[in-house]
Amino acid sequence: MYAEQANKLVLDAKRIQNLPHLPPYAATTVRAVTKEVRDLDREVSNLLAPYSSGSSSTTQSSDGTQQIKSSFSPADDPATACALLVNHLSMRRNKRCLLAYHRMRTDKLEGMCWSGVDVAEIQDASASASGRQSGGGAATSSLSAEEEQYVHQYSDLLAAYKGQWTDIDLTGSLEPPRDIFIDVRVLRDAGEIQTEYGSITLTRNSQFYVRQADVERLIQQGYLQRLS
Amino acid sequence: MDDDIQDILDAVSRPSLPQRTLDLQALTRAWVNERTSPELLPYPSDLVDRVVERVKTQIETIEDRTATMDSKSNFTLVILQTELERFKFLVRSFLRARMAKIDQYPHHYRTLSLQQTQSANPTSPSPLLSHLEQQYLQSHQSLLSHHYQSSFLSTFPAALQRLDDTAGGISMVDKPETDNAVFCRVLRDAGSVEIQGEGGATEVDLRRGDVWVVRWSAVDEAVRRGDVELI
Repeated sequence: MYAEQANKLVLDAKRIQNLPHLPPYAATTVRAVTKEVRDLDREVSNLLAPYSSGSSSTTQSSDGTQQIKSSFSPADDPATACALLVNHLSMRRNKRCLLAYHRMRTDKLEGMCWSGVDVAEIQDASASASGRQSGGGAATSSLSAEEEQYVHQYSDLLAAYKGQWTDIDLTGSLEPPRDIFIDVRVLRDAGEIQTEYGSITLTRNSQFYVRQADVERLIQQGYLQRLS
Repeated sequence: MDDDIQDILDAVSRPSLPQRTLDLQALTRAWVNERTSPELLPYPSDLVDRVVERVKTQIETIEDRTATMDSKSNFTLVILQTELERFKFLVRSFLRARMAKIDQYPHHYRTLSLQQTQSANPTSPSPLLSHLEQQYLQSHQSLLSHHYQSSFLSTFPAALQRLDDTAGGISMVDKPETDNAVFCRVLRDAGSVEIQGEGGATEVDLRRGDVWVVRWSAVDEAVRRGDVELI
């Protein structure tokens, strides 16, 4: 059935929304869908071929859509007209599904960039997650090559944009601040950090009362846990 | 009658508030508006510039005071820092809300801001996007379209490769839903708006102090003018 593969992608995208990690890129399905589109396109031109009037049969109009100048009239042959319409709609639908799938994944990746996860960590984390799923098989990254490139470029872009707001720290917490000092417990050794009140050494399982702004980043990275 | 006097009193008492308080008020209002309105609102560049400037000086003040390490000033410091964190949060959340909207409807806003720059005249209101946001939007879009291209679009038939197709009866460019309902409070009398009720369209007067739930498209002009605030 047309667009069946594409539907799979959409369902996948829906599923990704609620997953903490990124499942592997569905390269085979994406390829199948693009192949379907190409086949449909070929079918459309085959169907129209007998009708095309010798000279330039199709022209590219200014808005990028193909205008078919042929002697074909839908009223004469409703069956072919219907086939054409179905093919056209299926192609567009496939395209939208592909776009939705890719957008979902890039959104997810952007979210990770914003929350301060390192690019290498994203790849590692998703690789290990996919490795577990496939029974510890080849631990290849679950991002496609294009996605990896995208993540790199996006984090560069983000860093550049953030750099313009030095005092605000755009990637900071979006929770309204209540106290400037908070209790934190150290989950992983984080070494020594410098604060305005001197330096503290963060050793595992110790507990501190520190300024939130100083340790924000460490909480995000999972070194510290905030105690309420 | 009462309203008239109130208006006059307001006009008299308003300038006496210091600029700082006004800015805080304006920033909070801009923040709430931005977070609740379905559409992106014009960027208040003057306001943000002033606030960022103030944050900068406040950080310097705090650093100066910590350097002296006066035990008596500790309490003041805590208050100053809390205030600073709150200001930073407001600006951060405000900017992030804007970016989220820009990322959601990138094509729509790009066209809008392009239209605005083309028809730029000195009397036009503040631009929709700040310079930085525009840069971000542009580079993000080129990244995304490059990503789509290399992932699958390049193998598509040429006619289907565009990202802003309107063929087939559906526009590929998403637009914000302007008919969403918003809660708003009227700050100044703002004329009347049309409301689509069950029994057809009716007109209501927006009077100062009123609270309404209306479609965004009905009040968006008034919000941009500052006559109505969202809550």
